[in-house]
This record gives sequence, structure tokens and C-alpha cells, in this order.
Amino acid sequence: MPNAIKLSGVSKRYSHFALDQIELNLPEGEVMGLVGVNGAGKTTLLRILVGLIYPDAGDVEVLGYSMPKQQAAAKMEIGFASEDMRLYSSMSLRWHLDFVQSIYPGWDESYAQHLLQRFDLKAEQKLLGFSHGQRVKAMLLLILARRPRLLLLDEPTTGLDPVARAEVLEALADVLRDERRSVLFSSHNTHDIEQLCDSISFLHQGRLLATESKDGFLDRWRRILCQGQWPSGAAKLPEIASVRQSGSTLELKAREYSEALLEKLKRLGLQISRVETMSLEDIFIASVRTGVTQ
Amino acid sequence: MSQVVKSSNNSLSQSLAVNLPLIKKLILKDWQLFEKQLAGYVLGGILSLCLMGHGKLWSFYLGSLLLIIVIVAVACFAISTSLVNERKEHTLPFVMSLPISPLDFYLAKLVGNLITFGVPMLLLAIATLATIWFTALPDGLIVFAMLIFAHVTLAFCISLSVALAVESEGWNIFAMIASMVMVNPFIMLIGQISAISKPVSTNAIVWSWQALSILSLQAFLSVLILCLTGLYHCRKRAFY
Repeated sequence: MPNAIKLSGVSKRYSHFALDQIELNLPEGEVMGLVGVNGAGKTTLLRILVGLIYPDAGDVEVLGYSMPKQQAAAKMEIGFASEDMRLYSSMSLRWHLDFVQSIYPGWDESYAQHLLQRFDLKAEQKLLGFSHGQRVKAMLLLILARRPRLLLLDEPTTGLDPVARAEVLEALADVLRDERRSVLFSSHNTHDIEQLCDSISFLHQGRLLATESKDGFLDRWRRILCQGQWPSGAAKLPEIASVRQSGSTLELKAREYSEALLEKLKRLGLQISRVETMSLEDIFIASVRTGVTQ
Repeated sequence: MSQVVKSSNNSLSQSLAVNLPLIKKLILKDWQLFEKQLAGYVLGGILSLCLMGHGKLWSFYLGSLLLIIVIVAVACFAISTSLVNERKEHTLPFVMSLPISPLDFYLAKLVGNLITFGVPMLLLAIATLATIWFTALPDGLIVFAMLIFAHVTLAFCISLSVALAVESEGWNIFAMIASMVMVNPFIMLIGQISAISKPVSTNAIVWSWQALSILSLQAFLSVLILCLTGLYHCRKRAFY
């Protein structure tokens, strides 16, 4: 399957932050979540993908276009929305709809009308009177009605109240049913990512820690609760990401869970009391912590 | 080898290709955003011209001062609303996410600003010349007035270039204030040149070599600054 996004050796250096040698592929039709704490480099990476920032090194290909050279053609097929992007507050949503419609030949007016109703937005209202949630919905409406082949969403749900967030996520979930559309969705909220994405990449301090399918992450990681002490002098097993002793209980977080691992732990004298699946948030935190210490 | 050359030529032509229909839409967008305020400035200019042509000394001074304030305000307004505020209010990422290249953006902002500044400026310049010509004011003022208009245009080009090249709001405000405030020393300076200042009180329109040299220099510097800014802008590596 061709890639909607292909990044090879992409680096961008600032005085206090560097995006370092990013290698990332997003196959067409896939929805990828980019998870990272604030300042991890998610926004920089997405801005590079849309041509707002030029990388210092590496190759960026988006929908077969070389970026940033062919950005004008690429952006015809990209829908980009970021948390800090704003519309013109002195103009109405209708004015914005007409403006964007005049640029994109693939504009779907009936879908725009549908989204207007769904998001309960008034087209004639000026953006100045919109709440944050309404502004986010208006922005999404403007990019979704273009029917872009690739959606780049930089923390679109940040700052939304629970109701607005649920509405936005539901609308996105509907859009993502289109198998031809690829999406890269950045967030520090793993619950949003877990709801929408097929695959997940963890970004931390400008480095890509891991990229895998959501099910792959959830299948491989386990929390193992044991009775006993980690034997002094015993080498740390490569499958174990973290070890935490709490009284007589030992909590292990396994990045490569298997029956064989349980056998190894038993041979170390540990008594397995429980094996639990982990949430994506726990997996992310464990990945970040081990990624930092490695 | 020939393929490599062809490929690099292709990428060069792609990066230099401009999207004219979209540039026009962006210019129209900026015009629609500011047309009401610009109409207000033109009305202010007409009011100041009415005062100038009233025939009294006090009204001439008040009107000419008001006119200078209006044309300086028009110049600052165009730049601050279309460029400085676009960054400050985070509408720039929205514009840059549209299918445009940095060159398209530069040309749209350049032409858009020249129009939003140029149209009211031209209207005020024509109205000023007409006021001088058709009222009791001495016709010799025309050269003096043209030089002041040209100075404000040069100051506008400097401010526009800084706004296109520099993200810092502080530097942009400094460039606008510093370049526009220079209109005062400029008036003092041309007032010291007798070939320019003497005909001011007469009905003779004298285009002395000094006046023409200053006007040519103002025009040359305005164009040069904008061209250099275009080159710089196309080498920028961040647009948000």
C-alpha cells in the first residue's frame, strides 16, 4: 500500500529543542495517533508535514509530493487544523465557507450543510461571538467539507468541554470510516487517540519512541503483579520496561508479554498474583519513562 | 546527469510557479477584511482637505496636519491588520494551510498591501492636488505635497518589508513608528532646500532637479526594499 506520509531522517533544530532523525510512514487509509507530552515535537512535526516549517535535514513526502517544494499542490489535498489556528473573528462563518469553497474544487456543499446542522453552528454569525468549541467545530467543518485525502489534526480537542469534545470525536469517527482517507492525529490525550486511531506513534523530546498498531501495543504490554522481591544481582529482563517494589508486592510493566516471560519470573522466585492489560495512557507513560532512561 | 538537471529545473520551476487565481482571492480577502475601515480613513482625508481648502490660515495648518495623520494611519493600518495581526491572532496558519507557496503568500501580501494602502493614498493624493489646484492655495504646494506623499510611501515600503521579514511585533511597531515619524524631519529638510521651499508660496509648479532627485531616490528605494524583501521571504524556513 502506498504511503500517505513518508518521513526519512527528518531533523529540525532550535536552540532549546530538536526533532531528531524522524523515520515515519503512514500507509494510505490509516488513522495514526501521534502521542506526546507538551513540547514533545508533535506540532513541529505536523507543521513540517504541511510546509509551515522547513526541516533542516531529511526527506518529507506527503501524498507523493515532495515537501516543502511541492507544498502548494500537496495542500490542495491536505486538511490541516491545529489547536492554535484561528479564523477571522470579524467575519462570519458564511464568509469563511464561501472563501474556502472558492479555492477547493472538491468542496462538498451538502456535506458542509450537514456539518453545520450537526455542529449546531450558525453560518451568519461572526466568529467573534463563537465559543472555543464552536471555533474548533467551524475549523473542522471548513477542512472536512473539502474532502481532503489527508487530514493532519494537531490537538483538535484540546480545551474543549466534554460535550463539544464528544461531538468532535464522533464527527471525526464518521469521517474516518472513509477507507481512502489518511489521518495523522496528534494529542496528549490518549483516550481520544484510543477511540479513533488504528496505529500509534509515541513522540518524546523530539524522538520517535515507538510506532505500532493500537492492538499491537495493547496486546504486548501487561502489568504483572507478583509477590516477592526482585532478586539482587539478577539482570533486568529485556521484556520488562519497569519494576516497582511496594512492600512485598512487585509491580512489573512488561513491554513484551508472553507465557515464557511468566516462566522466567517464576524461575526468579516470584509468585505471580495477577496479570492485567494496560491502558494506552499507562503504556505511553511507561514508554516515555523507559525511553528517557535508555 | 541530464535527468538530475531536469529534476532540479522542475523543482525550481515548481517553487517559482505562482498560483495567480489564489493570489487574487487572498488579495480580495484582505480587501474585504479592511474595506470599511479604509473608507473611514478616506472620509477623514476628505475632511482634512475640506479644512485645507477653507481659505483660512488656521484651517490650512489644521487640515494639512490632519491629512498627514490620516495618510500615516492608512499606511500603518494596512500593515498592522494584514500582517502583524495575522500573526498575533493566529490566522496566519489558516492562510498558510491553503494551497499556496511562500512566493504566492509574499505576492498576495505585497500586492494586497499596496492596494489597501495605495487606493486610499491615491485618492487622497488626487484630492490634495485638486484642492491645491482649485482653491486659493498656492499651486507651488503641489511639489511639496508630492514629496511628502512619496516619503510616506517609502516609509510604508520599509514598514511592509519589516512586517514581511520579521515576526517580532516589537520590531514591527518600531519600524512603523520610526519610519513614519521621519516625515517631520523630512519636511524640515526639504524646507531648507530653497529650490523646493521658495516656490511653495507662489503659483509656479517648479520641478527642480533637487525635487526630482529626491522623488527618484524615494521611488528607487521603495522598489529596491520590496525586491530584497521578496528574495529574503522566499528563503525563510518557517511560516506560522
